[in-house]
Amino acid sequence: MFKRVGFSMLRLMSKHLLPLLVLSLSAHADPVSFSREVLPLLSDNCLSCHGQDAGHRKADLRLDTAEGAREVLKSGDFMARIVSTDPEEIMPPPKSHKPALKPEQVAMLKRWIAEGAKWGRHWSLEKPVKAKVEGHPVDFFVKARLAKEGRTLSPKAPEHTLRRRLSFDLTGLPPASDIQHLESSIEHLADSLLASPHFGERMAMWWLDAARYSDTDGFQSDASRTNWPWRDYVVESFNANKRFDQFTLEQFAGDLLPNATPEQKLATCFHRNHMTNGEGGRDKEESRIDYVIDRVNTTGTVWLGLTLGCTQCHSHKFDPISQHDYYSLNAFFNSIDEDGSAGTKAQPYFSYQSPYAKRAVEESQKLVDARKPVEAKAKADAEKPFSQWLTERQKEVKGGFKAWHVIHGAVESQEGSRLAQAKDGIVSASGPNPKQDDYRLISVLKLPRLTGLKLEVLPQNGVLSRGKDGEFILTDIKVQVRRKGSSQIRDILVKSAVADTKVEGKAREYGDVKGTLDDDPRNGWTTKGFPKDQPHTALYALAEPLELESDEELIFELRQRSTNGDANIASFRVSATDQPGPAVRELGPTPLEQLATGKVERERLLAQFLEDYTPYQLAKASLDRANAQLKEVQAAAGKLNVMVLTERKEPRVTNVLVRGVWDKKGDVVQRDVPAAIAPWPAGLARDRIGLAKWITSKDNPLTARVFVNHIWQMFFGAGLVRTPDDFGLQGQRPTHPELLDWLAVDFMENGWDVKKLIKLIVTSATYQQSSNRTDAADPQNLLLSRGPRFRLPAWMIRDAALTSAGLLNPALGGPPVRPHQPDGVWEEIFMGRFTYEPSQGAAQHRRTLYAFWRRSIAPTFLFDSAQRRVCEVAMTRTNTPLQALTLLNDETMMEASRALAKRMLAAKTEDRLPLLYRSVLTRLPTAKELAVLQRELDSALAHYRVHPEDARKLQTTPELAAHTLVASLVLNLDEAITHE
Amino acid sequence: MSESSLNTTRRYFLGQCTGVSVGAMALHSLAEQPEVPGLPSLPHFAPKAKRVIFLTHSGGPSQLELYDHKPGLMRLAGTELPESVRQGQRLTTMTANQKQLILPGLTQFSRCGKSGATISEWLPHLQGVADDLCFIKSMTTDQINHAPAMTQFLTGHQLPGRPSMGSWISYGLGSLNRNLPDYLVLISKMQRPSDQPLYDHYWGSGFLPSRYQGVKLRNSKDPVLYLTDPEGLPRHLRRGMLDGLAELNQMRFEKTHDPEITTRIRQYEMAYRMQSSVPELTDLSDEPDHVFDMYGPDSRRAGSYAANCILARRLAERGVRFIQLFHPDWDHHSRLPSWCTARCRDTDQPSAALIKDLKQRGLLDDTLVLWGGEFGRGVAGQGKWDSPEAGRDHHPRCFTMWMAGGGIKPGITYGATDDFSYNVAENPVHVRDLHATVMHLLGIDHERFTFRAQGLDFRLTGVEPTKVVKGILA
Repeated sequence: MFKRVGFSMLRLMSKHLLPLLVLSLSAHADPVSFSREVLPLLSDNCLSCHGQDAGHRKADLRLDTAEGAREVLKSGDFMARIVSTDPEEIMPPPKSHKPALKPEQVAMLKRWIAEGAKWGRHWSLEKPVKAKVEGHPVDFFVKARLAKEGRTLSPKAPEHTLRRRLSFDLTGLPPASDIQHLESSIEHLADSLLASPHFGERMAMWWLDAARYSDTDGFQSDASRTNWPWRDYVVESFNANKRFDQFTLEQFAGDLLPNATPEQKLATCFHRNHMTNGEGGRDKEESRIDYVIDRVNTTGTVWLGLTLGCTQCHSHKFDPISQHDYYSLNAFFNSIDEDGSAGTKAQPYFSYQSPYAKRAVEESQKLVDARKPVEAKAKADAEKPFSQWLTERQKEVKGGFKAWHVIHGAVESQEGSRLAQAKDGIVSASGPNPKQDDYRLISVLKLPRLTGLKLEVLPQNGVLSRGKDGEFILTDIKVQVRRKGSSQIRDILVKSAVADTKVEGKAREYGDVKGTLDDDPRNGWTTKGFPKDQPHTALYALAEPLELESDEELIFELRQRSTNGDANIASFRVSATDQPGPAVRELGPTPLEQLATGKVERERLLAQFLEDYTPYQLAKASLDRANAQLKEVQAAAGKLNVMVLTERKEPRVTNVLVRGVWDKKGDVVQRDVPAAIAPWPAGLARDRIGLAKWITSKDNPLTARVFVNHIWQMFFGAGLVRTPDDFGLQGQRPTHPELLDWLAVDFMENGWDVKKLIKLIVTSATYQQSSNRTDAADPQNLLLSRGPRFRLPAWMIRDAALTSAGLLNPALGGPPVRPHQPDGVWEEIFMGRFTYEPSQGAAQHRRTLYAFWRRSIAPTFLFDSAQRRVCEVAMTRTNTPLQALTLLNDETMMEASRALAKRMLAAKTEDRLPLLYRSVLTRLPTAKELAVLQRELDSALAHYRVHPEDARKLQTTPELAAHTLVASLVLNLDEAITHE
Repeated sequence: MSESSLNTTRRYFLGQCTGVSVGAMALHSLAEQPEVPGLPSLPHFAPKAKRVIFLTHSGGPSQLELYDHKPGLMRLAGTELPESVRQGQRLTTMTANQKQLILPGLTQFSRCGKSGATISEWLPHLQGVADDLCFIKSMTTDQINHAPAMTQFLTGHQLPGRPSMGSWISYGLGSLNRNLPDYLVLISKMQRPSDQPLYDHYWGSGFLPSRYQGVKLRNSKDPVLYLTDPEGLPRHLRRGMLDGLAELNQMRFEKTHDPEITTRIRQYEMAYRMQSSVPELTDLSDEPDHVFDMYGPDSRRAGSYAANCILARRLAERGVRFIQLFHPDWDHHSRLPSWCTARCRDTDQPSAALIKDLKQRGLLDDTLVLWGGEFGRGVAGQGKWDSPEAGRDHHPRCFTMWMAGGGIKPGITYGATDDFSYNVAENPVHVRDLHATVMHLLGIDHERFTFRAQGLDFRLTGVEPTKVVKGILA
């Protein structure tokens, strides 16, 4: 499968491989293990019909409890049905699509029964115990397991590999390339990386995925929220090595703690990070119930490793959790003081001012300060060319000046109105008068360019339209270009519309001329209420000047598709201009027309001149963007509304929801936890504080195991339990159960000390092994006989590229930033409602953790990342051509390549390629590698020296262009994007 | 493409890469494979259709104005919808507080073709291909709001996170074209901001590997994100760079023996091929005028639904497995006649032309075409029922879809609604049944096609009872 489809789905394969491996080890002398052998088999084959879910139970038989199974085991019916050859009798039945049990499975069951059919519990529900170990606990268990197979650990990885591995794992960044040697021990290195503020950022990226954190609501309106101070709380908590039980408590119940600090209140945003739906027509109560359910499911996945979501509709088919249990958990979250609203009404809020925003304001202020004088200078520099231009124009317009040129061309209608154009350019309609019609004027433009169009609607026989009341309704206009003889038409973007009739613009009414720009037939331009025996004029300004090729035609389309129709224009004229700025934005004489009459309107003339003066436009656009950014971060530096938990005064009644449907209320339930997991700690109030304490109580067999497994997965690419979201019967068993238990117990005994746990893992020989494959056995590395080798998460690839290029802005916290992303991505999804402006200056090079996350369209440069719609803790790693294209052409990767190329060019010629390798891969190239790199560099140099115009297109010199290409090659190397 | 670039690759592996390791040879044989196979267990039986074109009309097109003719409503105009019909149907909060007064269909219908299908005058071109279409008037769904309804319509479940039908199918059946993704999505370019954004989870792969997610073909300089090399980087330099990259990656493979490296080399090659195959696909300049005439004037405007219909046919010709078009803005709560006719104008002629075009080229026999939206619209007027402002609210209990082509009985109408187009009167077809039927036509038994995630065996059709709609199969 690996090879066939080109991706690694660990979970797909290992589900099948693992039992084989386990079975091969189970010596027949040992008694059959109920939890390891019998229960998984019952779960896979029997429990969907004979489990605890009474709704789906067949023949009133339960095989998930000893009592339920006692009778059929005793009578022998159990085995008889399994080995039966009668299709009516055999279990599982053929229509379940489950194959009959294999002979070795049957034999195992027989042995189990012969041994007394001893019942037990699923492994993850038994409390973990710490076995006795010698030496490093991780190595002790891993080596013992390997020894059973006659294998040993792989040798230690090379030093530079180890430094990279450790640096990526603990900070998400590559090591600084200027350190040539690992001078200190792995312990010291681990300590210094754990002390780095980037450690918290690395852990936060994981936690944000699990928390489905996003900067927008999701769903229809996808409005922005300002919950990012919670993200900084997460970074701070990991950096301060906050005990994980305390971290849990604050996020579940920070608001309920006595003398809660602002940060503790902020922490509860965890349970508000779900999507919120503000769709019109949506019942708020249904939304609110969705949010409660999301919190319970997230709690189940992140802390307990249980698929609680299944129990929303029915009792769990496999795990001992009933539907009542599920809604009892819901009850803890059901009395939040919320009403299901979204957008800016998603109470409860906590008003909070972030200490991290000040830095961002200063950074943006500096950028504005730097760009202001550039703009001012550009304006001053424009004075001279402006006077020159003005002199020339004055000469030019002496004999009079006409800005607008009437368009002549072919006229046609869609529905049959007869159109004819007279010599003066006036188009009149006659003949059939359909209810609605589209008119088109097609012409070859003589102007050097087009900046805007003027539409005059002219009275005919004293009225403006052919309709009964003499009023016209123009619902939309289109400006298009067609190449003669070619099939393709392109739309030209019109930026603004003004008319001589000013009315209050309403979204769904006819009146305002702006309504003709949105392709919506429910609004548009009419001059009803104004004299209908007078001409009326509308001006349309193009977004950008349009230059037509000699074989291109301009199409101006008038759409008249109003609801009631019968409002087709009787007579109109269209004119074109090449004058920019005020000429197409303001009615009346244009600046040059005024000039022709001897009126020197200096401000309007300068405005028109600057419109076309590129050096000024560039400086101004650059300053405008910096100013916009400054305004944005200044707003973020004030008091922000962060969505948090607060309890309402009157608790809500919680019901079981029949089949999970929000308004089908069943039994009333009280706050409680599934008894099968752990008992409620004595003496605690039944509130969210109690719930958090139950989750992290020493009696809870799941939380510590699940957490340890998350950490293991982070460093090894796969957990000790390879289904991190499912520790239940349908999940996988741990590859090293005693190790998982030892680490879980040790973690709790050490006060849920996260850094200590991490340090323990990374100082093991198991962690430090080489990741090279020495043989074909164990492709999934279930035995941990080699180090982990897997592609880095996309966010680390971006952060690593910025770091190796020396571009990374290492600042911590603050309002989100917008890294480069191709134009138009948001616009397409929201049909123009949101536009994406990449961050300016140093803000562009912040870590990916701070990238603005729009829930309906995640940052495009991230692949295989969590979608942040619901909580996700499993890693997916695919290998696709789209990822290749991203890494080849993403603007950030190109910027990093250019920056690397500049650093190379600053070095001596012979040092350049080694410097590149050292910056990106933390090692020097081999002679063979150097030869390949040199060959590609030479051929690129040869090309760009002969074709400097190509280098200019890349805005570089030939040398820089060639080195950029080679830098991009190295950033794309498998080794550069892989955790080795 | 691109025999030339393929050869370059071959030359590279046979010529330049003379380290001739086993890895390199294996790589070469992979590059020779004509397609990416699907699951070995699929298809379960001989398929009737090889590929799907799904014309998705987002917003809830009104069955009452387009297909489901209820002349009897005229005499009930303005009267209150009887509770015996409504039977407690949930309303959105947009109309929950107003009287449910009957608004008869706002258009004329004709009986079309030999089959006599009822089709609105707003769809004159579809009237002309009536005998190729199979109408299902008894579609039904559980969801009343857009996002959950569309999510269920496309992924089988109302909450985001499950794979879409296209992902399931490309995962199961694999690809017939090695230069293009298996599942492509085309969205009409509209001018006005849409009230219902098209989320990328509509074509997401959910818990399936992301290689199976729909790839959106954009109407811009980059039809696929990041496809275009920067200006000033000529093709031969990119080729050289990729050769160097492959060579260095190959060295790494020989050291680490990680098969992911081999896959990565292959994916960079595929990326390179896509850089020519995709622009070649999206450039319609080689289509003759009569094709544009057939699809209508809008087809000359890049990004329009009509242009996307031509693209859909080109994709079908190239063996792309699942082609999904989205045309938004069918959510006609007000001013229904002007608004709805505008969307009909965008889509009528091109939809009909696509059927004719596929038929002429012999592609309709093994291409399954679907037309439909996430739900229908209610018989009661929204707003003042007899004013031109009136529209209709969402309605989940019944809506109309049509299907055509591979394995579908042409020229029939299946299922029916009551006199109010409110409840399904006969042969209900749940969205799940539609999914099962599409799979069936592709040779897949929906009950046996599962994927294990979060400890459960998931399938597109979920756990509720589901049936293949036998009555529409040819």
